Amino acid sequence: MAKSEPVLFSISWNACIQCGVCVAICPQEKSFISHFDTIAIDRPCDIACMICENICPVSAIHHTKVSSFIPSLQPEQA
Amino acid sequence: MKADYDVVIVGSGPGGATTAKFASEAGLRVLLLDKKQELGAPVQCSGAVSRHALLENEVIISGEFIQEPIYGFAIYHSNGEKIKMDYRLLKPYEYGPEENKVPLGYVVDRRRFDRYLMTQAERQGTEVLLKAEAVDMYVENGKAVLKVRHYNDEMEIRCSVVVAADGLQSQVGKWAGLQTHIKFTELASCLQFVTDGVEADGLLEIITGHEWAPGGYAWVFPKGHGYTEIGLGVICSMTQRNAQQHLDYFLKKSFMKERFKNAKILEVQGGGVPLSHPLRTQYADNLILVGDAARQVNPITGGGIHTALTAGRIAGQFLAGHLQTSNDHSAQSMSQYQDLWMEANGKKMWELYEIKSKIFRMENIEERDLALYKTMSEYFSPNSPFKKI
Ligand SMILES: Cc1cc2nc3c(=O)[nH]c(=O)nc-3n(C[C@H](O)[C@H](O)[C@H](O)COP(=O)(O)OP(=O)(O)OC[C@H]3O[C@@H](n4cnc5c(N)ncnc54)[C@H](O)[C@@H]3O)c2cc1C
Ligand code: SF4
Repeated sequence: MAKSEPVLFSISWNACIQCGVCVAICPQEKSFISHFDTIAIDRPCDIACMICENICPVSAIHHTKVSSFIPSLQPEQA
Repeated sequence: MKADYDVVIVGSGPGGATTAKFASEAGLRVLLLDKKQELGAPVQCSGAVSRHALLENEVIISGEFIQEPIYGFAIYHSNGEKIKMDYRLLKPYEYGPEENKVPLGYVVDRRRFDRYLMTQAERQGTEVLLKAEAVDMYVENGKAVLKVRHYNDEMEIRCSVVVAADGLQSQVGKWAGLQTHIKFTELASCLQFVTDGVEADGLLEIITGHEWAPGGYAWVFPKGHGYTEIGLGVICSMTQRNAQQHLDYFLKKSFMKERFKNAKILEVQGGGVPLSHPLRTQYADNLILVGDAARQVNPITGGGIHTALTAGRIAGQFLAGHLQTSNDHSAQSMSQYQDLWMEANGKKMWELYEIKSKIFRMENIEERDLALYKTMSEYFSPNSPFKKI
């Protein structure tokens, strides 16, 4: 299986109920937590398993591939 | 604050506060930390706890935290069929609202319950710091050193033993290198609404069935003042929808929809319940784990208040005995805590885990639904073969 690309998570703060489920399920070995008890949003996740997104009771977590922030890594426009 | 403690407890939920109370009562120097400004908030719990659980763990029952007394259960099959176990009728000489009778249990307000438990510990001599977050831990010269952020200050606190009672999101065990990870197939994603306009009658109602709550169950609990809590927990590997969508479907489409039609939502709460086995190793050098941090949750019911209180009592009593007689706080000596806990609760929890796993391994949904309905009904019946934990 191809290795997943690193992603940066963002949280829809209005939807988040601060339940902490995303932190509890996160497989990162080091703490990967924001100041609001969600998964971290200030650094990329290189595992990118997305189970935090799947388990969130209110679907408040979204991700963007890190490569999409780097113009040279984006697919060329036709 | 002292420079050195016998015990520092991270997290003042039911597990941590109970550990603190028993350890302080025995004369140990105890510091209890919690990162929150108000314990129990935001609420991540439905608050159902048996009277037996409180008495067994020496919690003096107080109106300060009770929202509603509970007298029994109603367990529903996916299709609406139900078994009602109202202990007011089953054991009328013992259970009831009259003065000479008692409830079977309570729905508690976790904000008040957790504060009450913390206060009981403080009154036994525990020092408490709120807005105090443990951020790292290491062991040096036989002592544990905990790095703590308290408001804007950073500090290092030394002690003989750290108790990780930091709940579902526990990080302390991770810092000590313990295997604490929960499987995606075993963490229930939960959402609940406190509502007005839905009747309840002193019973905890549990609604089983893959259609309503795949991998978990839905619940309707009385919440005091005529309010009712409606919620559910799902295992996300068994569904494409999130807990919010399942709860919406349950409210609008289930056999209870008529009863819910005037429901007004007063509060939105959620959380995670580990329907897993307890951690195989709940200790390390100068460290023990208590409650959700050690995944000590009943894997059939998802209840974790009773198990956290019991583990807290066992931990507090163990530390009192151990620290008064020994200077060896290595992992090997800490393992005695787990032995005591296994004897009191652990073996039963492993048995319940096997039963639950067998049910959820069934591929045929109808068979699985029936097995869960039967197991839940048996669990709460007066003739239950299960010892209640
Ligand atoms: C939706 C839902 C409904 C539930 N309903 C029930 C129910 O009806 N009955 C029942 O028995 N159980 C129920 N449970 C389970 C129950 O809530 C938990 O099992 C119980 O709270 C565990 O207690 P604890 O003391 O181990 O941890 P917690 O109650 O989670 O307490 C942990 C504490 O540690 C603190 N903390 C965490 N990290 C740090 C840190 N680094 N530094 C300082 N402090 C920290 C937190 O702020 C928190 O106060 C429910 C759970 C959910 C999610
Ligand atoms: S799982 Fe979702 S709702 Fe819960 S804390 Fe994380 S982002 Fe917020």
